[in-house]
Amino acid sequence: MDDKTVLIVGGGLDGVRTALEQVETGAQVTIVEKFPTLGAERIPRDRLIRPEQAFINPDLEKVRDHNNIRILTYSDIKKINRDNGKLRVRILKHSLRVDNSKCNDCKACIQVCPVNMFDDFDEGLGFRTAVDFCNLATGGYNIYKEDMPVCQETCPVNLDIRAYVGLIADGKHLESLAKIRERLPLPGSIGRICPHPCETACNRQYLDEPISICFLKRFVSDVELSQEIEPVYETPEHKYPEKIAIVGAGPAGLTCAHDLARLGYEHIKIFESLPVPGGYLWVGIPEYRLPKKLLQREVDLICNMGVEIQYNTRIGKDVAFENLTNDYDALFIGIGCHMGLKLRVPGEDDYEGIVDCVTFLREQALGNLPKAKGKLIVIGGGNAAIDSARVGWRMGFDKVYILYRRTKKEMPANSWEIDAAEHEGVILQYLAAPVEILGENGKVTGMKCIKMELGEPDDSGRRRPVPIEGSEYIIDAETIVPAISQGTDLRFLDEGHDFDLSRWNTFLIDEETGATNIPGVFAGGDVVTGPDIAIRAIAGGKRAAVGIHEYLRSK
Amino acid sequence: MCTGRIDPAMVARAFQKRLDGLMVVGCYFGDCHYISGNVQAKAKIDTTRKLFKHIGVNEERLAFRQCSSGEASVFVKLVTEFDEKIRSLGPLGGDGDRVKAPEIFGKLEAAEAVLAGEKIRWVMGKRTPFLETGNIYGEIFTEHEFNRAMDMIIVEEIEVQEILAKLKEGARSVKDLAGDLAIPSERVFRYITALKRKGMVALDNVADRSPIFQLVPQEV
Amino acid sequence: MIYEKETRYVIPFGDIPSPRAEMPEISVDERRENYTEVETGFPEKIAVQEARRCLSCRRCLGCALCWAECKPEAIDFDIPDEELELEFDDVIITNGQDNAFYPFNPQLGYGKYPDVITDLQFERMLSPTGPFNGMVVSPLDGEIPGRIAVVQGDTGDDEEHLLSSLILGVNQSVIALDKIKDLEMVLISPLCESFQEKFFAEAEKIPGLQIIEGSPESVEKERDTKEPLLLKYSADGENKQKAFDLIVILTKPKISPELESLSNLFWTEFGMHVF
Ligand SMILES: Cc1cc2nc3c(=O)[nH]c(=O)nc-3n(C[C@H](O)[C@H](O)[C@H](O)COP(=O)(O)OP(=O)(O)OC[C@H]3O[C@@H](n4cnc5c(N)ncnc54)[C@H](O)[C@@H]3O)c2cc1C
Ligand code: SF4
Ligand code: SF4
Ligand code: SF4
Repeated sequence: MDDKTVLIVGGGLDGVRTALEQVETGAQVTIVEKFPTLGAERIPRDRLIRPEQAFINPDLEKVRDHNNIRILTYSDIKKINRDNGKLRVRILKHSLRVDNSKCNDCKACIQVCPVNMFDDFDEGLGFRTAVDFCNLATGGYNIYKEDMPVCQETCPVNLDIRAYVGLIADGKHLESLAKIRERLPLPGSIGRICPHPCETACNRQYLDEPISICFLKRFVSDVELSQEIEPVYETPEHKYPEKIAIVGAGPAGLTCAHDLARLGYEHIKIFESLPVPGGYLWVGIPEYRLPKKLLQREVDLICNMGVEIQYNTRIGKDVAFENLTNDYDALFIGIGCHMGLKLRVPGEDDYEGIVDCVTFLREQALGNLPKAKGKLIVIGGGNAAIDSARVGWRMGFDKVYILYRRTKKEMPANSWEIDAAEHEGVILQYLAAPVEILGENGKVTGMKCIKMELGEPDDSGRRRPVPIEGSEYIIDAETIVPAISQGTDLRFLDEGHDFDLSRWNTFLIDEETGATNIPGVFAGGDVVTGPDIAIRAIAGGKRAAVGIHEYLRSK
Repeated sequence: MCTGRIDPAMVARAFQKRLDGLMVVGCYFGDCHYISGNVQAKAKIDTTRKLFKHIGVNEERLAFRQCSSGEASVFVKLVTEFDEKIRSLGPLGGDGDRVKAPEIFGKLEAAEAVLAGEKIRWVMGKRTPFLETGNIYGEIFTEHEFNRAMDMIIVEEIEVQEILAKLKEGARSVKDLAGDLAIPSERVFRYITALKRKGMVALDNVADRSPIFQLVPQEV
Repeated sequence: MIYEKETRYVIPFGDIPSPRAEMPEISVDERRENYTEVETGFPEKIAVQEARRCLSCRRCLGCALCWAECKPEAIDFDIPDEELELEFDDVIITNGQDNAFYPFNPQLGYGKYPDVITDLQFERMLSPTGPFNGMVVSPLDGEIPGRIAVVQGDTGDDEEHLLSSLILGVNQSVIALDKIKDLEMVLISPLCESFQEKFFAEAEKIPGLQIIEGSPESVEKERDTKEPLLLKYSADGENKQKAFDLIVILTKPKISPELESLSNLFWTEFGMHVF
C-alpha cells in the first residue's frame, strides 16, 4: 500500500510538531519553509510557565533524522494543481550558496562580508551580513541574494530600473534607453502615463521620497528625440515561417507583436478596428498627457520590424473570427475593455447628449466631436472620469463637474490627476450620485442628483455610500458623460464558443503562458484583467509572446 | 613609481603624521605603462577623498591630477595651484576642516584601518571587472551603483573601525562607546550586536546595569 | 521573499540631493482650448540629480570575498536553485516563521524609539539563541533596563487574541524577572474574561509583576531620545503616566498574505483544511 503523503507548509514550531504527529501515523511528510532553517524555540501562549521551562524547543534532531520526513528550507510554493485526487505542487528551493556539510562555522565569511542588512530571524534586532547563518542554534549558512531589487520586482515587466537609473546618473542616457528597450518597446509613452507601481515600492521612500523612476524613462526617450536619432528595433537573421494574427493594436497587442518579431517571426499581422494604433493610449489617454505624434513614432518603430497593422478592420464584423483561427498558426487577443458601462438611472436612454466616456474620449481623439456647448457633467471617480473632465474643460465647456459617490480619499484615480483637474478649474462634487437624467425635446437639460454619506464598510473595506433622504438637487447640463467602468466586448465570438470566461466576461488564461483553453489562442491585457493599466497590459503581451513561441516551437 | 601602486592606507597614515595636503600626479589615461594603473589610482584617490569628506577632513587636501613627463610647465602650474589651495585651507584640523584637531587624528586612524582593511581593498579591486564583465553572478554594475556600494562600505566601516579602535584601549559598554565616539548609541548597539555575532567582540562582565564588551583576539 | 520586511535597512549617503525632483508643467492659462502637453519633462541637470538619488539596492554584491576567505571551500556560487514537482494527498498550512502582525496604535512609538520593541523581538531577545544569548538589553543604548512595561498594542475586543497575548506577556515577564535583579515589571492591557477566570489569580502572585487593567495610549520622550520612555495610559477611568526603560508591545499575529492566499486557494478550490 502506498503511504499517505503530506505537505506541511511552514517549518516553525507548529509545523515541526505537526510533522512529527503525521509521521507517527505512517505518513510520508515534506516540510516547506521560507527561511533557510527550521524554526526556533518559542514561548508558550496557552499556559503560564516557570522560568526553568521558559521555552519549548522544537524537536529538530528528531525531524532531521527521520527517514520519512523531507525538509525543504528556503523554499517557496509556486503552483498547485489538482490532479486526479492528488495535489501536484511545484516548489522552488532557493540555493543557499553555502554547502553546510562542509562549513565548519568558523565565521570567516561573515567577518569580511561588506554588506549589512537587518537580521530578520531575530526580528531585525541586529545586523546580519549578506552571507550569514540564520539561527545560532542550527547554523544554516546562506548567502542572501535577491533575484531583483524591489522596484524591478514590482514592475509588471521587470524593467532593470537599478541599471537604467544608474546609467542616467552616469550621464549615459542613450545606453539607459537601450536598457529600457530590452524589455519595453514603448518607453516614451509609458514614461509619460504609467501610474508607476515601482515607485510605491522603492526603498528610497524609507529615507524621504521614492525615486522618480517613471519620468526618468521619459527623460531618456526625450533625449533621443532631441538629438534626432532614429533607432532601429533589431530582428534576428534567422526567421520562422509561422503566421501569427493579433487582434487589437493596444499596448498588449503591439508588445506581443514586437516581442515575436524580435524572436524572428516575420509574418505578424495586427487587426485593428479603429483607424489609429495604440488602443486606449490613443483613444483614451488624452493628447495633453501623451502626444499622438510620439505614440505614432513608437508604433512605427515596431512596424519597421516587419509587423503589419490592418486598420479599420473589426474582427467579428469585417473579418470573421473563424477565418483567423483557420488561416493563422497562432492568435493573440488583446482587444481591451471598450464597452462603457451604463448608469442605470431613468432617462438614460431617452435623450441626446449622454455619451459614455469611452465614446466621448474616442470621438474627441479622432476629431469627431461637435463643438462644446454649455455645461458638462462627468460621473465617476477613476482616471477615465478625470481625463473626460479635463478634456471637456479644454474643449471649452462653460463649466465641468465631476460627480463622485464617495470622498476624495476613496477616489480610485491617481491623486496627482485629481489635483491637476481641480487646479484647472474642474468642479469636483464628492458624496453625490445621479438619480435621474432630465431632458426636454429629446435633449439633455440636466441631472437630478442626491447627496450621500459614508456608512458601514463593504466587502472591499471601503465605506459604503448611502443616500441622504430628501437631499436631491439638480445640476443643469447639456452633456453628461458616465465614466463608471468599462467591460469587455466579446460579441466577435460565436454564440456557442468554447472559451473559458470569468464571470466578468474576461478570458481565463494560463498564468505562465497566456494561453486560453483553446490551443493556439492566447490573450492578454485588459481583456484578461478587466480595466487596468497599460504596463500590465504590456506584461500580458510579453507573456503571450513567450507562450506563443513555445507553443509554435513545440508543435 | 606608477600611481597605481599608491596605497590609500599609506595616504591616511601620512595625514595622521600631520601632512596638510597630498597631490598625486599620474599619466594621462591611455598613456599608462602598466595599462590601467592610473585609472585605478584615480579610483583609489576618489574613494579616499570620499572617505575624508565623510570623516570631516576637507577632501581638497587630496588631489589627483594628470600630466605627462614632457610637460614641465603644466606640472609647475599644478603644483603651484595645489600649494595655494592647501595654504588657504591652513593646517589640518583647523578652520579648513569640519572636524578639528585633535579628534581629526582619531578619525584618520580609523580611516587608515578602513583603507587597510580587506573589505574596501577587495571591493575596490573589483571595480574594473564589476563595470566591464560583471560580478560573480555575471551582473554588470553601473558606475553609480559601484560608487554607492563603496559609499555604503565607507559609511559603515568607519564607524566599526572607530569602535574597534576604542575597544582596543579597553573593554567598554555600548553607552560609553557612544559617548566617546559621538555615534548615536542605537547604531553602536547594532554594530556591537553584529560584531558579537561575528565572534569579534564578547561580553566581558556586567557592571551594575551595563554589559561591558571586549575584543576577542583574532588569530591571523 | 524573506529579508525584505517593512523595516528595510537603508543607509543615508551624505552626498545625495534629498528632495525628489518635481515635474515642470505649463501654466493653467496655457492649457485652455488646446491639447498641448502639460508636463514638459526634466531638464538634463535635474534628471541626473534625480537619478543620483537611487540607492542602487542590492544585497549580496557578488564580490566573492567570503568565498576567498572560506578555508573549507563551503561557499559555492554555482549551487543552483532547485525546482521540484511533488505529489501529495494532504496539505497542512501552519504559520511558519514569517511572523507578521496587524498594525497597531502608532502613538506607541514603535519604529520611532529604538527602545520600544514588539513581543516578537522580546521573545528573540529572551531566547538563549537570540542575538544576546538571552540577555535583556535596551536596543537604545545596550543597558539592562530596570523598568519594563509590556503593553497591549491591539486593544480591540478579540477575546482569543487578548487571552493568548496576555499569557505571552505574563510568560515573558516571568522570564525577564528571572534574569534581571530588582526589575520593575508592569503589564498593561485590557483583561479578557477567560484570562481573569483561569490565569489572573496565578499571575497576580508572581513576585515583581504588576498587572494593570487599562489601555496604553501613547509613548513619548521628554526632550531627547536618550531619556526614559514616558508611557501614558488609562486605567480606573483615569489618565496616568509612568516612566520606563523598555516598552514591549503585544502584537496581534497575522497570517502572511502569501499563506493567506494559499489557504484561500485550498479552501475554495480544494476544500482542504487549514491548521
Ligand atoms: C480614459 C483612460 C485613461 C487611462 N489612463 C491610463 C494611464 O494614465 N496610465 C495607464 O497606465 N493606463 C491608463 N489607462 C488604461 C490603459 O490605457 C489600458 O489598460 C491599456 O491601454 C490596455 O491595453 P490593451 O492592449 O489591453 O487594450 P486597449 O488599449 O484597449 O487596446 C485594444 C485595441 O483593440 C481594438 N479592438 C477591440 N475590439 C476589436 C475587434 N473586435 N477587432 C479588432 N480590434 C479590436 C481596440 O480598438 C483597441 O485599439 C487608461 C484608460 C482609459 C480608458
Ligand atoms: S556574501 Fe556576497 S557581498 Fe558578502 S562577501 Fe560574499 S559575495 Fe561579497
Ligand atoms: S532606490 Fe528605489 S529605484 Fe533605486 S534600486 Fe532601490 S528601489 Fe530601485
Ligand atoms: S561558510 Fe563561512 S563559516 Fe562556514 S566554513 Fe566557510 S567561512 Fe567558515
